[in-house]
Amino acid sequence: MKLTATAMALALSATAVFAEDTVTIEFAYPYSHLFDVTYEAMMPAFKEAHPNIEVKFRATYESYEDGTNTILREAVSGNLPDVTMQGLNRQQILVDKGIAKSLEPFIAKEADFAKEGYHDAMLSLSTFDGNVHGLPFSVSLPVGYYNMDVLSAGGIDALPTTWDEVISACETMKANGVENPIFWGWNITGNWFMQALMWSQDKAIVDNGHVAVDSPEALAAMEQMQEIFTKCEMQNLEWKSALASFSAGDIGMMFWSTSALGAVERSQGNFELVTGPFPGMGETPKGLPAGGNAALLTSTSDDPKVQEAAWAWLKFITSGDGAAEVAKTTGYMPPNKAANEVILADFYDQNPNKQTAVDQLPLLRDWLAYPGDNGLAITQVIYDGIERIVTGDATDMKELQQELVEEVADLLPNG
Amino acid sequence: MSLADGVPHEAVVEKTVSHNVKERRAAWILTGPALILMVVILLAPILVASLLSFTNYSLGNSGFDWVGFRNYEKLFTRSTYAKMFVATLTYVVTVVPISVGLGLGAALLINSLGRFREVYKTIYFLPVMATLLAMAIAWEFMLHPSIGMINRTLEMGCGTFLERIWSFMANGCAGHFPVWLGDKRYAIWVISFIGIWQGFGFNMVLYLAGLTGVHRELYHAAEMDGARSAWERFRLVTWPALGPTTVFVVTISCIRAFQVFDTIEAFWPQGGGPNKSTYVMMFAIFEKGVQQNLIGIGSAITMVFLAFVMFLTLIQRWLVERKVHY
Repeated sequence: MKLTATAMALALSATAVFAEDTVTIEFAYPYSHLFDVTYEAMMPAFKEAHPNIEVKFRATYESYEDGTNTILREAVSGNLPDVTMQGLNRQQILVDKGIAKSLEPFIAKEADFAKEGYHDAMLSLSTFDGNVHGLPFSVSLPVGYYNMDVLSAGGIDALPTTWDEVISACETMKANGVENPIFWGWNITGNWFMQALMWSQDKAIVDNGHVAVDSPEALAAMEQMQEIFTKCEMQNLEWKSALASFSAGDIGMMFWSTSALGAVERSQGNFELVTGPFPGMGETPKGLPAGGNAALLTSTSDDPKVQEAAWAWLKFITSGDGAAEVAKTTGYMPPNKAANEVILADFYDQNPNKQTAVDQLPLLRDWLAYPGDNGLAITQVIYDGIERIVTGDATDMKELQQELVEEVADLLPNG
Repeated sequence: MSLADGVPHEAVVEKTVSHNVKERRAAWILTGPALILMVVILLAPILVASLLSFTNYSLGNSGFDWVGFRNYEKLFTRSTYAKMFVATLTYVVTVVPISVGLGLGAALLINSLGRFREVYKTIYFLPVMATLLAMAIAWEFMLHPSIGMINRTLEMGCGTFLERIWSFMANGCAGHFPVWLGDKRYAIWVISFIGIWQGFGFNMVLYLAGLTGVHRELYHAAEMDGARSAWERFRLVTWPALGPTTVFVVTISCIRAFQVFDTIEAFWPQGGGPNKSTYVMMFAIFEKGVQQNLIGIGSAITMVFLAFVMFLTLIQRWLVERKVHY
């Protein structure tokens, strides 16, 4: 007991001494299986550049939804971290509730902010009411992952470019004894693939507070999904099992975010992995939703030193070498011109699989959030709907669409 | 005389009164902390939750509106919540009888053993001690459809006589074995199986304790009266003597079954299983109240949940008071 007390007293005095010249900031991020390596790789350079800033990592968020919720709860209980990473489509709600601080005062103080490589198109992902509230950290797009060994064993030699080609590839592979030809990532966070099929047809799923599940494009998207799921006889795998199956070499084609590329390559079995552009509905997609996350400043500290330290960390991870680590360790693209074009100049030549998403950048569209307090509940309604297509519970898409329209209307703020 | 008589009498009365007051005060002071804690930790939150269940409060908002019974109306009209009640009741109705039965069976078998008693006790009790969440992750690996241990083991049966006598096997070998966690036909049974596997050891221990309370003489008396077979002895002596234990075990199992959450959260963090087939109440409370911040509807489900548990407890009290003791 006495020993513990002494140890605690020692520890306390040690922190007190430490606190004089060190600023501690708290930081939290989602998806540890993707990003742990990234932050590990960044830390040495950051420590060197800012020896007096200590970054304390909080427990990681399981997903973007979990991250947003955690922040909302922490705002109520008053223990927000200083910097948080949030899904691009979940920034709005934090800005609306005044939890995410505007970054304009910090940007104004920077002499040559433009030179850091933040260009307008990318900052626009985090600009609300004309004020920059976040710095995008990593951007992803949906791509196709192909196990070339399974594909050639199944008699396929060219990568599909439309969903019809994907389906016929499935059928050929099935006929040639491939048991598990495809995994289509419908269950990726926040109905991202539903939005991908909608944007493919150049239709926004949320427009002016209206959720466009009642549109003909939504019906077309659902019918497309049904065709893929039934004709390919896709198994209803939980996404972690699916990634495990693909890495083990069981699945021929997997459609998922480019973000998992780093993780898949690290755990990949002995086969040739190739990525290809996201197929379209009859033609090349007209747009694709940007996935990924942005760094938001949520510090409630009055101490300018803490604020400055938080800004230094924010800037470090989103520019220069910090941003370059994102591309090196994950499949994400750093939304920073300088990092992409200068530091990573020959990186993409050596890693053609990571090039696929970069090639699709002109298609980049907003990843939209559903409006109101029920935003997460609407996500769940659409998730449940798509799940019913996968499990074969819903067979009539028009009927399912009608049900979804009613349930979503019920959850909208003025519905 | 009367005066002299009256004074001490009154003094005695006064003394007893003040003594009574003091005693009462001491009683209040002594029970005070427990009472305050009970109100603050148990009753107040229930009261707050029941008030919130009539609002549309969402976490992070500065205010809320009273919506009357709308949350409850949703609970009893929407198909999602119908699935919730079906899943919860299926789970309870499956897990409780089987885990109680297996617990009793294991206890009787172990009780009849001379040696290795402790070994068996430990083995059956192991799953109870393990964290269900950690076990769920192990189960998730085993149940993986293509690289999991269970389907790999089943595949070994292909090409043997099993295929001829068991149509499940034949189907599995011809196509593929079930996606245990992704198929709505299997999901709830997989969860129930894990619940039974995890829970029956606890019931076994309770029954073992109950069995030590059964008097040896009762068996001798029964034998004298002509109960010769083991079944007769069980029916006439053991089972009635275990009455109070059974009431307790069934109630505890019911409440634990209503509270199932860990496995579902580990297997399907989003959605509550294929087609919501394992969307049990605890998970629904978590999803609405914690994941989606919709405190109003979350509180309403909590109140219904409490009503179920309260109902079970009342039944238990009623049974105990009806003297299941012998």
